[in-house]
Amino acid sequence: MELSCAGTGGAMTERTRFERLALPHMDAVFNLAFWLLRSRCDAEDAVQDAYLRAYRGFSAFEGEDIRPWLLRIVRNVAFRKLADHKRSSNVISFDAAVSGEPAALQVPADEASAEDMMIGAGERLAVKRALAELAPIYREVVVLREIEAMSYRQIAELAGVPIGTVMSRLARARGELRKALTRMREDERNAM
Amino acid sequence: MQCDRAAELIGAYLDQELDAETRRQVAEHLGGCPGCAAVADEFARLSRELAAIGREPAPEQLASRLPALIGGVVTAAAAPPYVPAVARWHVPAWLRQAGALLLICGATAAVSALWMSRTAGTAVLERDVVAAHVRSLMQDSPIQIASSDTHAVKPWFSGRLDFAPVVKDLASAGFPLAGGRLDYIGDRRVAALVYGRRLHVVNVFLWPSADGTDSAPRELVHKGYNLLTWSKGGITYFAISDLNLGELRELQSKL
Repeated sequence: MELSCAGTGGAMTERTRFERLALPHMDAVFNLAFWLLRSRCDAEDAVQDAYLRAYRGFSAFEGEDIRPWLLRIVRNVAFRKLADHKRSSNVISFDAAVSGEPAALQVPADEASAEDMMIGAGERLAVKRALAELAPIYREVVVLREIEAMSYRQIAELAGVPIGTVMSRLARARGELRKALTRMREDERNAM
Repeated sequence: MQCDRAAELIGAYLDQELDAETRRQVAEHLGGCPGCAAVADEFARLSRELAAIGREPAPEQLASRLPALIGGVVTAAAAPPYVPAVARWHVPAWLRQAGALLLICGATAAVSALWMSRTAGTAVLERDVVAAHVRSLMQDSPIQIASSDTHAVKPWFSGRLDFAPVVKDLASAGFPLAGGRLDYIGDRRVAALVYGRRLHVVNVFLWPSADGTDSAPRELVHKGYNLLTWSKGGITYFAISDLNLGELRELQSKL
């Protein structure tokens, strides 16, 4: 009896420690998953998967800052999902090819939040749409840099690439975002 | 510094990620080149706009679901702290060994019992369905006739099956039809319709019911896959996917 109490006590502290450290970062983890997968439902799956993995591997975590560690786990989960999707889309793409637009791309655009509806809505939506159209590796660096305000070094460690690669990916992503937004703004002007 | 080189570095310059010397060179270039200075202004604006979209808010129920999820794996993760806790109790070594043995025996017995009960309780049909679903995902393509056009898929089945399957495109309900194929379940040829749902694939197997009566949907979970089976209009349906049962029920209501 006493033995099992001691056991549960140890488990509780480990679990509480994990929850206290990891759960406050759920928003950041979900946000990265959402932008990589471009779907709230898939992001939710990925976050749950990532937290389970993180908890199982918690004993291996010995850094001070748990956020990059959690983000790395969720980005790996998300990229694996994207790869699975790519494999299965060899088939599904028949109709995508016909309609000319992959179904996944429409996701962020039709999920306008309450904030989007208010002032600056059009601009905000345009930025989201432009970001959603980037390739996953570019969405990743933009989200980590611009929304999570991480340094190039942190991003490099997280994505497992050299700092120079982070720099060039960000430069390319920004160039494409700028082009896409300029195009959208012109379209809007022409439409008026 | 040339404009090409400066353009590569403007982002890193704004992010304050350049070393002092390169930073100075970029600043100097921007001072004398209106074109690059304009790009820098645009990049700065872009950064502000991206920061302004903020984080996509997480679903509210997720915050309460995660602790429950973590609680479910307590035994696996608690193993490392558990061992020292026992050691601290100064239990004689033989007792600890005996306890450990007993635990292992108990766990093995429980697992085998669970496994046997599951194997015995699992309908052959259900196993066939799961096997067919998994097999379809392992192949390059789960479909033989790729089309969302029901008028292309349905005739394809005629001559290949001894019944006419109901083929509906449910794109409007969020389940676009990807196509169909033949499969073999419960010792007979069946129609398999493949629907997409975000990144997920849903296989719907159908064949004529044995007794021809309608039956209400029944939910099954097998190897992590969710199954929903029902009969309607003399046809037995089996829908299987890694989607949650709620979404499968949504599909079922449309078929």
